Parts: sequence; C-alpha cells; structure tokens
Amino acid sequence: MPSTPRSAYLHVPFCRHRCGYCNFSVVADRDDLIDRFLNAIEIEITQVLAQTPCQQLDTLFIGGGTPTHLNPDQLERLLKTLRQHLPLAENAEWSVEANPEDITSDKLHQLRDAGINRISLGVQSFDDQKLAVLQRSHSGPLAQQVIEATANVIPNVSIDLIFAAPNEDLQRWQSDLQTAVRLPIKHLSTYALTFEKGTQFWNQRQRGTLLPVDESAEIEMYDQSRQMLGEAGFDHYEISNFAQPDHQCRHNMAYWLGNPWYAFGPGAAAFIDHHRNVNHRSTFTYLKRIEQGRSPIDESESITAQQAAREAAAFGARLLQGIDLADIERATGWPIIQELQPTLDQLLEQALIQISNTSICLTERGIHFADTVASELLGETH
Amino acid sequence: MTKHLRNFCIIAHIDHGKSTLADRLLEETGTVSIREMKEQLLDDLELERQRGITIKARAVVMKFRRGKDEYELNLIDTPGHVDFQYEVSRALACCEGVLLLVDAFQGVEAQTVANAYAAMEHDLHIIPVINKIDLTHARPDEVAEEMMNSLGTDPDDCVRVSAKTGQGVGKLVDAIIEHIPEPPRDTEAVLQAMVFDSNYDDYRGAITYVRVMQGTVRKGQKIRFLRADTTHDVVELGQFTPHRTACDELSAGQVGYLICNIKSLGDVHIGDTISIPGDGAAEPLAGYSRPKRMVYCGLFPSDGQNFSDLREALERLAVNDPSFEFEPETSDALGFGFRCGFLGLLHMEIVQQRLENESDIDLVQTAPNVTYEIVNKRGETVEIHKPQDVPDPGDVEEFRQPIVRCNIIVPTDFIGAVMKLCQERRGIQKSQEYLAAQRAMLTYDIPLAEVVYDLHDKIKSCTRGYGTLDYEIIGYEAADLARLDFLVNGKRVDALSIVCNRADADRRGRAVAKKLKSEIDRHMFEVAVQAAIGSRVIARETVPAMRKNVTAKCYGGDITRKRKLLQKQKEGKKRMKAIGNVEISQKAFMAVLSEDDS
Ligand SMILES: Nc1nc2c(ncn2[C@@H]2O[C@H](COP(=O)(O)OP(=O)(O)O)[C@@H](O)[C@H]2O)c(=O)[nH]1
Ligand code: SF4
Repeated sequence: MPSTPRSAYLHVPFCRHRCGYCNFSVVADRDDLIDRFLNAIEIEITQVLAQTPCQQLDTLFIGGGTPTHLNPDQLERLLKTLRQHLPLAENAEWSVEANPEDITSDKLHQLRDAGINRISLGVQSFDDQKLAVLQRSHSGPLAQQVIEATANVIPNVSIDLIFAAPNEDLQRWQSDLQTAVRLPIKHLSTYALTFEKGTQFWNQRQRGTLLPVDESAEIEMYDQSRQMLGEAGFDHYEISNFAQPDHQCRHNMAYWLGNPWYAFGPGAAAFIDHHRNVNHRSTFTYLKRIEQGRSPIDESESITAQQAAREAAAFGARLLQGIDLADIERATGWPIIQELQPTLDQLLEQALIQISNTSICLTERGIHFADTVASELLGETH
Repeated sequence: MTKHLRNFCIIAHIDHGKSTLADRLLEETGTVSIREMKEQLLDDLELERQRGITIKARAVVMKFRRGKDEYELNLIDTPGHVDFQYEVSRALACCEGVLLLVDAFQGVEAQTVANAYAAMEHDLHIIPVINKIDLTHARPDEVAEEMMNSLGTDPDDCVRVSAKTGQGVGKLVDAIIEHIPEPPRDTEAVLQAMVFDSNYDDYRGAITYVRVMQGTVRKGQKIRFLRADTTHDVVELGQFTPHRTACDELSAGQVGYLICNIKSLGDVHIGDTISIPGDGAAEPLAGYSRPKRMVYCGLFPSDGQNFSDLREALERLAVNDPSFEFEPETSDALGFGFRCGFLGLLHMEIVQQRLENESDIDLVQTAPNVTYEIVNKRGETVEIHKPQDVPDPGDVEEFRQPIVRCNIIVPTDFIGAVMKLCQERRGIQKSQEYLAAQRAMLTYDIPLAEVVYDLHDKIKSCTRGYGTLDYEIIGYEAADLARLDFLVNGKRVDALSIVCNRADADRRGRAVAKKLKSEIDRHMFEVAVQAAIGSRVIARETVPAMRKNVTAKCYGGDITRKRKLLQKQKEGKKRMKAIGNVEISQKAFMAVLSEDDS
C-alpha cells in the first residue's frame, strides 16, 4: 500500500442543533468557536504535513457536522486553507457534506468555484413526518428542490437516507426510495437508524418512549433498497452504498481498501505511517490543545503488517465486488491467505462468503452478516 | 480431701447467650480473671463469631475448691447446629448433665428443642437455665412455662441468670455441683476413652479431644483407636485451662486432649474409642458412625480463575474440617472444578463463606442436591451424589431420598402460612403443640431436598423472620423422583441437571428452560432449549436464529472503534463453553443457577 496518503478528511464539528440520534463529534449552536476552529485547522494541517509531507491528493472530503453551516466568509477561508496546503491531483474527487437547509445558489457557486466537484446531501428522508421524528429541520419538498438545484451546479450529487426510523413501515420507505431515484443523483447511502449510547434516542429507547422497528421489518427495508435501487441502475457496491456507473465514492473506497489518509479536526481518525491516530473528540479540548501547541491526538495505535492485512480483509469484505487477498498480501507482505485458510473454510461452510482463487466476496446471506465475517477475518487481538 | 468431677455442656439456640455464660462460669470459678476475659474464649474462629455459631467443640476445665472439697468441672462446647447432629451426640455422650439455656425474652426455639431431645435420649440430667433476666422485656415466668410445655422441665427447677451481669451464676455453679451426677471413677479398669472432637495444630498435628470413660491414660503410653484400628504413642496429654496445659495422666471421668503425632485429621474419627493395643482392649463404645455427607454441590472457579488455587483453598479447609470432602469434577459447561460434600445446608454455607473469606476466589456453585439412593434393576443400591449420576429411568427400580423431621417453632399467627408451605413441600405433619399462648411447635417429616431447595428461606420469609427451623435425618424413603435434564440442540448441559419430584418437573423444567433461553445469545442457527426426563421432553423454548449482524456505517473514523468492538466480541466468545455447537457464557450458567424460582 502507498505509504504517503493520497486522501484527506476534514471534520467540521458545527451544527445548528444536535439531532436526537447523532453521536458524532459535534457542537451545536456554538458558532462563536468557528474562527478559533479555522485557526486551529490551519495549524494542525501544517504540523501534520511537516511530518508526513503531502505529494498529491486523489480525494479530499469535508465532513461533519455540517460544513455548510459556516457563513460564506468562514467557508471561503476554510476552502482557501485546504487549497493552499493540500495539492489535489488532476481529476481528484473533492467532496463536501451539506444539509439541504443551508444550500443557496450563492453557496453552491462558492463551492464549485473553489473546486469542489462532489456534494453529499444529508437528506435522510422526503417524508415530513419522518423528518420530524429524526429532528431534521428541512422539509421533504425543500430537499427535492435543493437536489435539483445542486445538480445544476455540481452534477455529482450523493444523498443519505435513513430507514427503520421509529414508526416507519415498508411503504413509507419505498416512497422515499421512489422519490430518490427520480431525482438527479449519482450516489446514495442508506443507513438503518441505530441507537447509539449517549444520544437522546438511546435514552428514549431505554425508557421505552421510542420504539425501534422490529428486526424483520428492518431486514425487509434493506432488501427493498437493494432491489429498487438496483432496478433504477444503481450498483450496490458497499453494504450501505449505491452508485451509478463510475460514481462510487473514491474517498470512502480508500478507507475500505486499507489505504492511508490524513484526517484533521476534532475526533478525526487518520491512518498515516502505519499508525491509526484519533484526535480528541471534544471540540473544546481539540482547540485548547492546538492553541497550547500540543498534539490533538488522543489515541495512537501502531498497526503491524498482520493487523493491516487483517483489517484490509475485514473492511474490504464490505465491498460487494469482494476483495483479492493476494493484493493485500502483496501490499502488506503478510501471508494472509495461508493464515486465514481455516477461517475462510468456516465462512464458506456457513455460506457467508464465496471464494474464487484468492478473492473472496459476501454471499447474499453474507451481506446480512457482514460483521460476523469481519469479526472472523479480524481474529483476536494480536 | 476429695476431688469431685462434673461433665456438662450447654445447649442453647444461637444468640441466647451460650458464649457469654461460658465466660461467666470461667470467671465465677476463678479459672480466668475478668481481665483475661476481654475476648470470648470458647468460640475463637472469626467466622463462628460472625454467624454466632459454634462449629467446633472445645472443652474447658474449671478447677476450684470449696472448703475441703476440690472440684473439676468440664464444660464441653457443642456445635449449635443440627448439621453437626452426630458431633453433638458424641459430645453429649461425654457428659452427665446439660445446661438448657433459654433467652428470657425470646423463649424456646426449634434448635433448643432438637438438642434437648438428644440430651434426654442420652439420659443426661437437665438443668433448665433462663438467661438475660436483666432485660427489661424479660418474661422469665412465661419462658419457664414454655420450657415445661415443650421440654417437660419443672418451672421450679429453672435457674435464672444474667450472663451479662453475672447475676445468678453462683447459684448455677451450685446447681451444677448439686444436681449433675459424678461420673463413674473406675480408674483401674482397662482404658476406654471417647473421641469427641479434634483439631489440627500446624506444629503438633492432630489434637484429639477425649473423655476417659474408664481406666487411665498416661503420657508415653501406647494406645489404639479401636474403630480406625491404628496404634499410636501418647506424646503429650493434658487439659484446656482454657489454654492447652500438659499433665501426666487423665483418668476415668476426666476430659482432656491427646497429642500422638498424627499427621492428618482424617485419621481421627469422632466417636472412636481409645483403648490399649492387643487382645486386652476394652469394648468399643456404642453410637459410632462415620460422618455422612447429605448435601453436595459443584464448586467451580469462575472465568479466568485458577483451578489449582481453588484446590489449594479446599485442601486448607479440609485440614480443619474432616467432615467436608471434595473430589475433582469436570463439567462441559463449567470446566474443571470440584464436587463437594457437606453434612448439611449450613455446613455448606459455612465452607463457602470460609472459602470466600480466606481465599480470593470467585466461585460458581451448582444447585445443591442431597444424597439419594437408587435401587437399580439388578437390585443393587447405589448412593448418588450428583444428578448426572442418576441412571436413565429404565434402569431405576426405586429412587429414595432422605427424609428429615423438622421442628418449626412459630408465633401462632403464622401457623397457617407455615402449614401451607410444609404441605406444598410434601411434608407430613406429625404434631402440633402450643408452647405458650402465642407460640407453637409444628413437627413435620419432609424430604431433605425440599429443605435444601428453599424451605428454610421460605419459612423465614413467611413468618417475618420469627419462625425457627431445625431438623434431623430420620431415614430414606422411596419417592416419585426423576432426573430432569436440560438440553441445548439435543446436548445435555451437565451442570444444570437436577433431581426433582415428577409432579414438580413440568413447573421447574419450564422455568429453567425459559431462563436458559433468555441467557443464550442468538446463533447463526436456531437453538432449541429443552427440559427432559429421560427421552421425554417436557418443555421446549427456542432461541431464534440471528437474522442479521451488520452495522451500516463504516468509514474512516469508525474503523478503529469497530475493530475493537468486533475483537472484544470475539474474545468474549472464546471464553464461552461449547455445548455441542452452541456457545454459552459462564455468566449465563450462573444466572440460571442462581435463579430462585426455578
Ligand atoms: N442483656 C443481656 N444480654 C446478653 C446476656 N447474655 C448474652 N447476652 C448478649 O446476647 C448476645 C448473644 O450472646 P452470645 O453469648 O454470643 O450467644 P451464643 O450465640 O449463644 O453464644 C450477645 O450480644 C450478648 O452480649 C444477658 O444475660 N443479658
Ligand atoms: S446534522 Fe448531522 S452531524 Fe449534525 S447533529 Fe444532525 S446528524 Fe449530527
């Protein structure tokens, strides 16, 4: 695997308010911190690049939080910082996450003019009732308009949709999917709602005031997504991701294939120089550390060749095209094929994977058990 | 000058003041000064203090003069609980009298009655003593009447004392001297002594407690244990004053100890007779038997704990408690551990508590079971110490279980509740007596298994703690019993098998199967949990197959976290026990085993 990262991630931790299901590293309603954050990011990028110089990036991803929550001046400054420090290759993919309610024609042009060529919209649903349950501040019709408007300026549009929200049934999910495929989008990510510790939803579920939909309904919705999106020409290429031909998210592919990447901002996780470094999740601590000249890294773990190989196998297996273990072996120098033989036999017997030569891929059944497969491929801690 | 001997013990319910009274007697007779009395002397094991139960008998000699007369009073301490019924009987066999001690406020309790009956069987002279008369709520007259009703003692004979203030203790000494008969003093006859207790000294080996019935034992002489058929030299002998004090001889009627270079307590049998080697030996004393383990359970180290640590801890305990036994046991479900035998339920609790106090081991305990007897189709009778050993139904001709006679003393308000409970537990009522206007004694014959299962706790809870229960084994009876097994995907989970009455099998089978189901994680396939007698399934639960295991989001930031999560799950799985193709955590077994209403 290339040792110089060709991907970078930037985390913008600001949101208008915190959604009930969200456990991201986010501060809501603290716009006063944005300027300090922009300073800190510049310092962090400079420091990291001083250690691990950047040649050229193939992908750059601005995620959050809500990057588009920044006002035009702040956004301008951020984009400028990135352009200045992170040279992009020709044809590089530069994505930004955005919430529909922040999108204006001016902002779209600002993003496009800066060089952003892919936009990922946090739509979640087109159904007003479901959006209310999820505590999103846009409406279904607005989301549709925004998608159309965005596609006119930045054609490579991706949207996120959540399913299995409380009270949701198959019919409601089908209508979300129907709406989505009629719109000018190139890529779609679908997630079953999860209840994460520390979120409002988690607490409500514990108290019994919020009921998750039952497991079989959730499975049905997932299978429905695969079918309907497939029919509409979207290729199911990763557990939760669908794309039109040639529109897979190249940035995310870097994660799944085990390639290195830079990561900046609170809670951001990088994979550089055989280390997984995770910045402190608290925006306040992150800012304080950078301002005091200290490293924002909270956890750093060195990854052995064996670990790298097993991780590449485990996370690569999430790709529906499968993964060639010989590639991993070549990149890491670790004899992963031989090491995993008994595991592969077992997974094969359980009908979770298919094997052809040195490549493995999930079976139909295996798709529903991707974590079981990943867990077996990872093995125990070494 | 004449020397007079008196041998006696004190029978009392827990907390009625036996230890305190013993202290006062030592003071009153000048054996120990008040200053030395700071610590209670008779029961010195910390655990006994915690529980207020004297487990191991001790014997103290009190020597004093009155005018021309010299007295030697031997107080033999008896274990307070009926699990040690046999040991109590051997101690009683060494006495001519007993002090029957009853709390002036609490009145007669079940344990007092059981032990008083035992004393009567031994034809001992009984001195009724009412203690704690200093209490404001003392009701000595009523208690004297209760004692008359339940134990047949004469209210006029009751000696009233306060072991706390010392009031009446002088009179009690007078009563001991006056009423308890002098033991026979045939010091010239062939040696015959009763072994009534033993303990282990790290330097000296076994200390054997004896009462000389006839003849004399001297330092340096050769003796023989008649039942064990072993011969030893008497290296040292003496009396407890209360410290070990050596002397040259012990003669008929006296109580003391022998040290004979015996390396293991297992070689000293309580109830054995000591005499001389060769043909001229005295007759062995009657009433000897080997301790019988009535309750068994499996003890396993919990996850990650060391098997050999547990073995060492058990060995250490057994050194001082020959009635406790253990042997290695292997369970598919719980791994390597030990099957342990106890005299009774309380004995089991004491041993467990000691294990936990004295060593740092977390234990998993299987449900206790009693010792059953099975007559198989070939007419052989076999003792069963664990449910797994019960043969399949086709090979069982008769299944027998131990029956105990329970005395339960309750305030009259609770009679109804207790009777209902005893009936539910297959008790057969033997009698019902009113001890006083407000208190009654119920006598039932009940399977020991029911007592072990939960009767004791249930009586406590349905009488708001006022009811007291005591029991003694009366024998074995045939019953409609069966081994109830639990299976996951057709494989028996050895640690969960129980023996129960067929009539209860449905209820208990369903409860355990349900609980087990709730504790088993979902697998890639369906898991059937069944309760069965032989090949007949009586309850079935199903753990549905896992239908998915996939998290939607997995991006750069999730990779480390997710990998750790998956690996942790994987490691948890590694520690699981495999029953066939089903993996079950030890925690799940513990949850099932500790279920109360199974
Ligand atoms: N008031 C009062 N308390 C007593 C008397 N005798 C014993 N006690 C208390 O009763 C409790 C139990 O006494 P103890 O001698 O340990 O009872 P054992 O379990 O029979 O040995 C202790 O708290 C003693 O202090 C007495 O005569 N009067
Ligand atoms: S907008 Fe997105 S990042 Fe912000 S709180 Fe909601 S879910 Fe979380």
